[in-house]
Amino acid sequence: MPSLTAHRAGSGQEDFGLASVTPSIETTGASREFESRVLSVEPVMGDAVLLTVSAPPVVLSRLQPGQFFNIVTRFPGSFDPLLRRPYSVYRAHRDPSALTFLVRPFGRGSAWLAERLPGERLGMLGPLGNSFTIPSRAQRLLMIGGGVGVAPLVMLSDEATSKNLDVVFVMGAATEAGLLAASELAERVEYGVATDDGSRGHRGLATEVIGDFVQWADQIYACGPEPMYRTLRTVAEPLRIDRKPSVQISVERGMACGLGACLGCVVETTHGMIASCIQGPVFDLDEIIL
Amino acid sequence: MTTPDLSVDLAPTNPHELRLRNPVIAASGCFGYGEEYASVIDVGRLGAFVSKGITPARRGGNPMPRIVESPAGMLNAIGLQNPGIHGFVKKYPPMWAKWTVPAIVNISAESVNDYAMMATILDEQPAIAAIEVNVSCPNVAQGGYCFGWDPQMSAEVTRAVRSATTLPIIVKLSPGAPDITSVAVAVEEAGADAISLINTLVGMAIDVRRRKPLLANHTGGVSGPAIKPIAVRMVYQVAAVVRVPVIGMGGIMGLNDALEFFLAGATAIQVGTAIFVDPGLPIRLIDELGRWLTEEGFSSLDQIVGIANDGFQLGQRPVLAAWESVGV
Repeated sequence: MPSLTAHRAGSGQEDFGLASVTPSIETTGASREFESRVLSVEPVMGDAVLLTVSAPPVVLSRLQPGQFFNIVTRFPGSFDPLLRRPYSVYRAHRDPSALTFLVRPFGRGSAWLAERLPGERLGMLGPLGNSFTIPSRAQRLLMIGGGVGVAPLVMLSDEATSKNLDVVFVMGAATEAGLLAASELAERVEYGVATDDGSRGHRGLATEVIGDFVQWADQIYACGPEPMYRTLRTVAEPLRIDRKPSVQISVERGMACGLGACLGCVVETTHGMIASCIQGPVFDLDEIIL
Repeated sequence: MTTPDLSVDLAPTNPHELRLRNPVIAASGCFGYGEEYASVIDVGRLGAFVSKGITPARRGGNPMPRIVESPAGMLNAIGLQNPGIHGFVKKYPPMWAKWTVPAIVNISAESVNDYAMMATILDEQPAIAAIEVNVSCPNVAQGGYCFGWDPQMSAEVTRAVRSATTLPIIVKLSPGAPDITSVAVAVEEAGADAISLINTLVGMAIDVRRRKPLLANHTGGVSGPAIKPIAVRMVYQVAAVVRVPVIGMGGIMGLNDALEFFLAGATAIQVGTAIFVDPGLPIRLIDELGRWLTEEGFSSLDQIVGIANDGFQLGQRPVLAAWESVGV
């Protein structure tokens, strides 16, 4: 698997020398900023869309599950909304090289993005951030997604099933309409659902159905709203032994630069305020202060 | 056709000088310590970059949320999260010593002595091209009144830093000053080699649903294109009353914005918030500026600095009063 270490901003010594030499495109990583073309827009999960855009092959070769792109969500010449929006990758496509993002219209940026049409261009910066990691000896993975939080877990489950790992994927949504279609996941993935109104699967929270799987799993992954992480902690804590299996969560923060420069997106952890854009968005549930 | 001369000296009377290959500088707080952008742009091509604000002691910064978008801009209240001067000097000057791009260190403190203490330490470091003094801090000895809003307090800080270092000093002015020209003149007399402006304007946004300010710090600094006209006006005013070079900033999003600052009297510019959304902009500006000068028949940048100033005595009367701006 290709390593991202040399391409990750602010990751330490390996970046220090870059600006001292006359940098080439490769060493400056200029390809982290690029323009994509919208390839398809597909309605999904109620009011959300799957937005598939072109991406240079070099970008995909660096990409790991859990990483994100900072996307311009306004027309050229407009300054509003000003800041880029971070989106983690839902699925990577190799041939032709493309990326899919799961976009639910929520604020002005996401609403703009969800309205794009095939052929339109998008300003991209990425891949950014750290990634989910699959421990070398892990065989059984439990993934818990809340709403559009399933996005990075879909890419992670793609990666896991390509390695013949066992995946249990549990998703929670408000209603049946908000659920991810089972066809979006590989056949070998065991997929469970929970809805707030009970219109499909368990009535209640996704975290209420994972009990049996906590000890089954070698590694747990979660992505969803912050209250989900609190519940997850409560549910998983008595079932874990010596804090095993560990839980990797992806945290969402309002963000400006995406590169660790502005420190606007910090997460409070047991070892201080940490930039979620470079040392995250993936954190260990045990190190986060919720 | 020859390439126009884009080089500038931002400290012509200082023996160290502050010679930049071009006038495009990455602004403090928007460029980390330089390394963050090394994987996105060719940092080595910048005229210079300014570090995040460094304080006497390490600071964890403000609680979240720290940033919020505003119309054509943003508010930030990061709270000067930084490793403190001692942690800073261990890590960054040795790293910058291997770089060719000039590194400028931005410093903030809540007492005159602390500014001087930091300048003393920086004076001994390698690879620091200049110090940018952020005077937009509360003066604890004066009940928290912002240094930068008062000419005497700003001058006092400048004098203290001047006596602590021979490095070029840039004083970064606060747009909250009741009369920014008197602050500019005071810091020039106190030994500033150059003046940069504007820092952010203090603003607030309220979450209507929660009925509370959006930022945990309540207030934050407004930046981005929304503040550009204010910045251009202040650069125009300040450049008219000081002899030292002026570095203009505030909402530069493209070549036309940059040109406005040069024409208003800036010798160099800083790009801040735009880097977050368009990291390639500073490098593009260098190229576009050179092309524009050539196309317009100028052989060097200094031929356009301040030429929009036709002697109109801005600041001699309350030009921004509402009755005038609407032409009543």
